Amino acid sequence: MPETTTWTEKYRPVYFMDIKGQESAVEKIRDSLQKSEKGKKAIILHGPPGTGKTALAYVVANETKSEIFELNASDLRNKRKLQEILRPATEQKPLTKKRKIILIDEVDGISTDRGGITELLKLTESSSHLMIMTANDIWDKKFSELRKMTELISLKEIDYKAIKDLMIQILRKEKKFIENDVLTNITLKAHGDMRAAINDLQMATSLPDPSQILIDERNKELDIFSILRMIFKGKPTNAHLKIFNSINKPLDEIMLWIEENLPAEYSGEELVKAYELLGKVDIFKRRIYRQQYWRFLVYENAFLSYGIASSKTSGKTGFTNYKRPTRILKMWLNNRRTEKKKSIAKKYAQYAHIGVKRALKEFPTIERVFLKPGVQKELKLTQDEIEYLNKNN
Amino acid sequence: MASEIWTEKYRPTIFSELIGQEEIVKKVQSLTNSLNIPHLLFAGPAGTGKSSLALIIVKELFGKNWKENYLELNASDERGINIVREKVKNFARTKSLGNVPFKIIFLDEADALTPEAQQALRRTMENYSATCRFILSCNYSSKIIDPIQSRCAIFRFKLLENKDIKKILDKISGMEKISITPEAEELLYEGSEGDCRRVINLLQSTSSISPLINAELISTIISSAKPKDIRVVLDYALSGDFQKSREKLLDVMLKESISGQDVIKAIQKEIWNLPVEPELKVKLTEKTGETEFHIVEGSDPFIQLQSLVASFVLAGLGK
Repeated sequence: MPETTTWTEKYRPVYFMDIKGQESAVEKIRDSLQKSEKGKKAIILHGPPGTGKTALAYVVANETKSEIFELNASDLRNKRKLQEILRPATEQKPLTKKRKIILIDEVDGISTDRGGITELLKLTESSSHLMIMTANDIWDKKFSELRKMTELISLKEIDYKAIKDLMIQILRKEKKFIENDVLTNITLKAHGDMRAAINDLQMATSLPDPSQILIDERNKELDIFSILRMIFKGKPTNAHLKIFNSINKPLDEIMLWIEENLPAEYSGEELVKAYELLGKVDIFKRRIYRQQYWRFLVYENAFLSYGIASSKTSGKTGFTNYKRPTRILKMWLNNRRTEKKKSIAKKYAQYAHIGVKRALKEFPTIERVFLKPGVQKELKLTQDEIEYLNKNN
Repeated sequence: MASEIWTEKYRPTIFSELIGQEEIVKKVQSLTNSLNIPHLLFAGPAGTGKSSLALIIVKELFGKNWKENYLELNASDERGINIVREKVKNFARTKSLGNVPFKIIFLDEADALTPEAQQALRRTMENYSATCRFILSCNYSSKIIDPIQSRCAIFRFKLLENKDIKKILDKISGMEKISITPEAEELLYEGSEGDCRRVINLLQSTSSISPLINAELISTIISSAKPKDIRVVLDYALSGDFQKSREKLLDVMLKESISGQDVIKAIQKEIWNLPVEPELKVKLTEKTGETEFHIVEGSDPFIQLQSLVASFVLAGLGK
């Protein structure tokens, strides 16, 4: 029988204990509920998509035996609508004993121009019920007032291990099987998004070849961080060979990213192996430039993706904060700093019948001689250049 | 007015002053005297007298007017063969002054040109052979294409020997009224690596501290001119801290603008002083050689060096 419910619905958390990988957020919200009488009236749950913001709100409702009154801010495009729908809800005293929670999903979609925020502020002020809002990004200036009135609880990208554990649990309950490698790669690809992971998992189990799910992904634009994660953390699969198709960055730049972050992930023999491959990538790159033989790209590609992924001895877990490559910038800054040195070397080179490169190489040996006023005059050094020499010696 | 830079002040101006290449000087002198000079190819390491000999030739040929009849180019500094051709064309357009029927073009570091550019150079040499003679200089004649080699008389310059360096040091120390101890002389020779320019530069730098030159002063100057922190890079690597080692490496290369090849050279020398097993030293040297090969071939030196440093991390673990 074909599946009708989505697994994301089916396995939505019910109790606080069901929520995986958000321990600190759960603790914070429990604290906040206990002192809610005195505390702030509204809570904003903020964090990236798929980290469980809405799910957490529903768990709160369930645990406090409240009824959810859900609003989606993107539906409430104007003041009139907001008044119409929200005001009765907030002013209504509970008829039954059951408490009410007003949930405003995606509050960052609210419009500023039609007074949506102002109205929301008024409502938050006057509401007799607990209000929970969710948002991806709450740091926009337009929310500064709102932030002061509410308690902010942040939800982080869910840890790799928490996602994988939950997926294994789901597979068990569903009595389905997926190879561990594929599972790992689905998890990595999710990039901390639990919903995406579960959706992918459900889709993978319905495919004749579950690893297909990873290849299909190539149409979707990936960011460099996901790419690095897949290469550094995951085991090599053939999907790796096509990984760079799904990002809009030149291979040279990707190479710099990998070079920068390699030592943060690998060590010892893995590091040596990976660097050897990186060196080979560079050699092929040069061959392409020299011979204009573009098929060599295949090798650049394979070493950089599958090759680097295969260099590790064990799978990597945990979160790594990947850094933007800095080498090119440093080189540029330094070139500006050593401009004077170069111009001195150039003058010396002409004078001494040698090339500029050679003059730069001799520079540390001869630098002391350049300090003599007579020599400076002879080489026609400028004031700037003389200052550079004085500063350095 | 004599130059205050000793390499220029003491640059030989006549054939008999050129030290260390006696055989070559004899041949070139007779060619010059007969005014029958073919294109010349000077091959040999830096600082062995290639440019000096070219200068002596033009001074012999043209006397006071040498500057008008001599064009000096450096292939690695000029941006592309087209610039070289353009300069040659402008220079060769006018006839030489005096009774010598040609002008001289000296192209330094000709082996920096790609084989394609050398083909273009060959054409240029042919086109202007009526009015110009070329003297090409290079480190390795094997990097010069055969058609050019076959058009030139080839002279191979050798590294200066200890006795040659001593002659030079004696001459300069006499003129400059400085004294050099025998140990310092030995150190200067070692530091020179057979390169005359280098030994004179070392001497002048040292003499700016004191006219009494001893071994201690020389080694201070030599070590201050060396990439100092290479050992630090290697020590970090051996202790297993790759990140720090890499950071330091980039720092050394950028701040002191040391080329990849010089870093490799320093690493190769430092290996023998490292606290690792002999067989590992050999292994590391092998890897160093490979890395140097790739850098010489034109790879990104920083990437290749990182790869090398990573193997030092392994060596630190005894692997």
